[in-house]
Amino acid sequence: MTLNLARLQALRRQSGAPAAAAVATPAPPAAKIDADPLARLRGLLRVKRRDAPAPASAEDRMLPGREIAPGLWLQEARLPFDLPWQPHLDAAFARRDAPLPTSELLFFDTETTGLAGGTGTRAFMIGAATLDPAGLHIRQLTITTTRAEPAMLDLFRGWLRPSTILVSYNGKSYDAPLLKTRYRLMRQAEPLSALDHVDLLHPTRRRYRGVFENCRLGTIERRVLGIVREDDLPGSEAPGAWLDYLRGSSAKQLRRVMAHNHQDVVTLARLAIHLGR
Amino acid sequence: MTQLARLDLEPTQTDVGHLLAPRLARKYPERVTGAFVVPAREGCYVDLPSDLPAPLHGALRTRGRERLYSHQGACWDAVQRGEDVVVVTPTASGKTLCYTLPVVAGAMTRRSKALYLFPTKALAQDQVAELIELSKAGDLGVRAATFDGDTPGDQRQAIRLSGDIVVTNPDMLHQGILPHHTKWAQFLENLAYVVIDEIHAYRGVFGSHLVNVLRRLERICAFYGVRPQFILCSATIGNPKEHAEALIGRPVTAITESGAPAGEKHVLLWNPPVVNPDLGLRASARSQSNRIARMAIKAGLKTLVFAQSRTMVEVLTKYLKDVFDHDPRKPARIRAYRGGYLPTERREAERAMRDGRIDGIVSTSALELGVDIGALDVVVLNGYPGSVSGTWQRFGRAGRRQKPSLGVLVASSDPLDQYIVRHPEFFSDASPEHARIAPDQPVILLDHIRCAAFELPFLKGDTFGPVDPAVYLQLLAEDGVLHPEGGRWEWIAESYPAGAVSLRSVADGNFVVVDRTDGRQVIIAEVDFSSAPLMLYEGAIHMVQSTPFQVERLDWEGRKAYVTRTHVDYYTDAIDYTRLKVLESFNSAVTGVGQVHHGEVHVVRRVSGYKKIRYYTHENIGYGPVTLPDQEMHTTACWWQLPEPVLHSLFDNRQQALDGFLGAAHALHVVARIAVMADGADLQKAVGSGDGAWSATGDGRGRGQLRATDGAAVQADALARFEPTVYLYDNYPGGVGLSEPLFQRQAELLQRAQSLVEACDCRAGCPGCVGPVLDEGVPLTEGPRQLALRLLRALQAA
Repeated sequence: MTLNLARLQALRRQSGAPAAAAVATPAPPAAKIDADPLARLRGLLRVKRRDAPAPASAEDRMLPGREIAPGLWLQEARLPFDLPWQPHLDAAFARRDAPLPTSELLFFDTETTGLAGGTGTRAFMIGAATLDPAGLHIRQLTITTTRAEPAMLDLFRGWLRPSTILVSYNGKSYDAPLLKTRYRLMRQAEPLSALDHVDLLHPTRRRYRGVFENCRLGTIERRVLGIVREDDLPGSEAPGAWLDYLRGSSAKQLRRVMAHNHQDVVTLARLAIHLGR
Repeated sequence: MTQLARLDLEPTQTDVGHLLAPRLARKYPERVTGAFVVPAREGCYVDLPSDLPAPLHGALRTRGRERLYSHQGACWDAVQRGEDVVVVTPTASGKTLCYTLPVVAGAMTRRSKALYLFPTKALAQDQVAELIELSKAGDLGVRAATFDGDTPGDQRQAIRLSGDIVVTNPDMLHQGILPHHTKWAQFLENLAYVVIDEIHAYRGVFGSHLVNVLRRLERICAFYGVRPQFILCSATIGNPKEHAEALIGRPVTAITESGAPAGEKHVLLWNPPVVNPDLGLRASARSQSNRIARMAIKAGLKTLVFAQSRTMVEVLTKYLKDVFDHDPRKPARIRAYRGGYLPTERREAERAMRDGRIDGIVSTSALELGVDIGALDVVVLNGYPGSVSGTWQRFGRAGRRQKPSLGVLVASSDPLDQYIVRHPEFFSDASPEHARIAPDQPVILLDHIRCAAFELPFLKGDTFGPVDPAVYLQLLAEDGVLHPEGGRWEWIAESYPAGAVSLRSVADGNFVVVDRTDGRQVIIAEVDFSSAPLMLYEGAIHMVQSTPFQVERLDWEGRKAYVTRTHVDYYTDAIDYTRLKVLESFNSAVTGVGQVHHGEVHVVRRVSGYKKIRYYTHENIGYGPVTLPDQEMHTTACWWQLPEPVLHSLFDNRQQALDGFLGAAHALHVVARIAVMADGADLQKAVGSGDGAWSATGDGRGRGQLRATDGAAVQADALARFEPTVYLYDNYPGGVGLSEPLFQRQAELLQRAQSLVEACDCRAGCPGCVGPVLDEGVPLTEGPRQLALRLLRALQAA
């Protein structure tokens, strides 16, 4: 069978594949062999009604922070802490005998394109925060093109020292393996395996299991730390927000993802301190 | 292919092994339709290779191997030369050592890794057990493990990081390993060998999928900078080298001469006797298999009976146990073996067989693949397994070095079985079937390019195997799963594509059957997309493990059927019409006074209603309507036509022509399925007009009935034009490569169909030749058999 795009789409429908949302009428039977598959495709587009993404206006594409490399955005913020500075954090909650040096802690959280796992899932945003006597220093990296991913991974690696202690919420099972996969795919040295990593999910569960309806970060944040978010974008909408931006849509949703990620990292720091008291 | 000679039924040797076949032939002469012998073969040996690491030498000696068979040595040499190899030797010829040696030697000398693919978990576990024993025997330090759905989570990381030989199956490779290849980086970076056993099993749709899984594997290996060597094993098929090369996309060295010694093999073809001459009914195959097995076991010969279904295994086992195991104080001499038994039971049965404690085994095809059960004397096949090569593989279970073994094929009433036993020369002369695959089938290719894009981005100019993926990548980008950017196609969707692709079907719309009895919500079965309208319409009785359920609601879009347990006294049978229309003819030829074509067709199948049929009496007690979407597909077909003027000269009227076409279609379908080794429903037949205006079906009594596009019955004489066509088509959108070989061999098919119909014992027609016929005393010159013959003769060159 000679193959062109229309025939391929027709075959997919016949084998029971759910129709692409845009197809309203079945493609006309491909009777002639068309030398130009693109022309055939344009012909189909005239027939189908496609939901093309609405063209975005220029202002609507603004992201906070600055573009430090093509497609790579960095947003930095400083948050003074209302708690006195402690050079060490008691880590008995994490079943550690020795306290952890506060200045080595790196709180991090990623936003990804899906929960499926496997090599096809990527992080499009990495939020990281460190503590010093002045307060919390938050840095967020966001890629707006897939090509910028190697630069993001490289830069993030630059934030890590051999003595860095990673702190996350479910990061040992999710965020860290995902980043390791991406480092390997980009053929870069993978910096995470060599570092100490404290995952707050398990100690949180040990302390609060059965107390609240679940141990999700949002629930703990509200019930234990008393933090309430306004107009927070649900985590499940994050992949779609980034995809829309990638395809040229408004940056509004993506900014909400950045705000969500920012708060996740801040909450992580507060939770660690709370558990260590 | 070994030459078969006629079996001498007056033997000169008198041991029991030589005597059984002649005894059977003497006692039941009308039932034995063919008797053959495969001559004994001497062993051909070579020394253990000098470059084999010394501890491996030692391990082999400890296990009694001082020399290699010639084919094992040839395989070692070919692998050392860097070639990809396929070993094609009979069952029990030591194929395993062909790949074990290079793999273990590599692991010992340079810590190279190997990936083994086996079709079943049981075989995989056997392999690993063997490897561990070998490693222990020589203190070789080689680590082997299975990696499949049953591998516990906490063991997986250890296997990835330190396994030398990982044994898995195609489904796991496709869904569990490739999409997570970065976790396997250390393993893949050192991957030197990929071993695939039983490659003859990877044909048709399954084989087409596997080719693409291997293309993804090679793509990923290239990412890690390696290009592993392939070592493949195959049972005897007609085209082992070609098939191996098609599977891996590279030239392959074929090793086909076996150096293993083999005893003489006797083969008998057996047709049960006619018990009702008026209706042409024969005794059941079961009764015959039972009798033969009894005689063999009484003569002290270890016997294995292959049955086609689990139920039949239980029935035959019961009959044999009634004779041989009636004393419960004595250990059982007869044992059943099938899927559905616990793995521990099956392992215990295999051990008992290997130790020689069992005299008779009854099994399904679960025992066909390489599990070691020691040597047997007699194999009885209760029914034809569907292919000549499958038959020889099962016969291969019997065989000892010094004594002859016996294989008996007992035919059932299935047309294929009857064809085989009535044409013993077909069986003895037949080259084993060719394995066919269609890896570039568009729907399959799209699924795997999608999976491949998830695993690694596609760069502009990349190929996928030999295929240019550009059109597919475009489609995937349109679907929103790929994002093209700067010459790369990156995966950006949330989904996990491998989870939605089944390696055994060409569709992603499987229906689930949900049991809602007593408020439950339990999935009890799955039905593929093309079978759904035939089995899951509202009102249908659907059987799961012999328990009847009735479909209450079908959610077509959601792909769900909701059923409840029922106790009605009838079952249902869908009434469906299939209509074909020619879209394009790729190739055509004149054949006799007609034409044959190969090309693309449009197939529409409609289920218009169903019959309710009472159990036991088989009365039709009612009908029900079915309103479901028509199923349409484009696929490839081979078809025959006669021009209208020629029809006039051949037949007295249109009804006769129609009956002739239907009869010829039935016979052609039988011989075609044998010819291309088609599985089950992969190849379908139809009779209709070339333009799709009408289709015809037999009414079950030998008369054809026309239906127009809306399903209404039409009289043949009422049509303006009348150009009936016989179609044989691939039952998958896009085709799976069955039609073209049929077109190439069409003269042979016509000739075989003709001899099938001519030689049939029935009077006017039967399911074994032209389809069921109600013989109403029609003059012999005008019965469906004769009409079909007229057509078949006319289509052959004068």
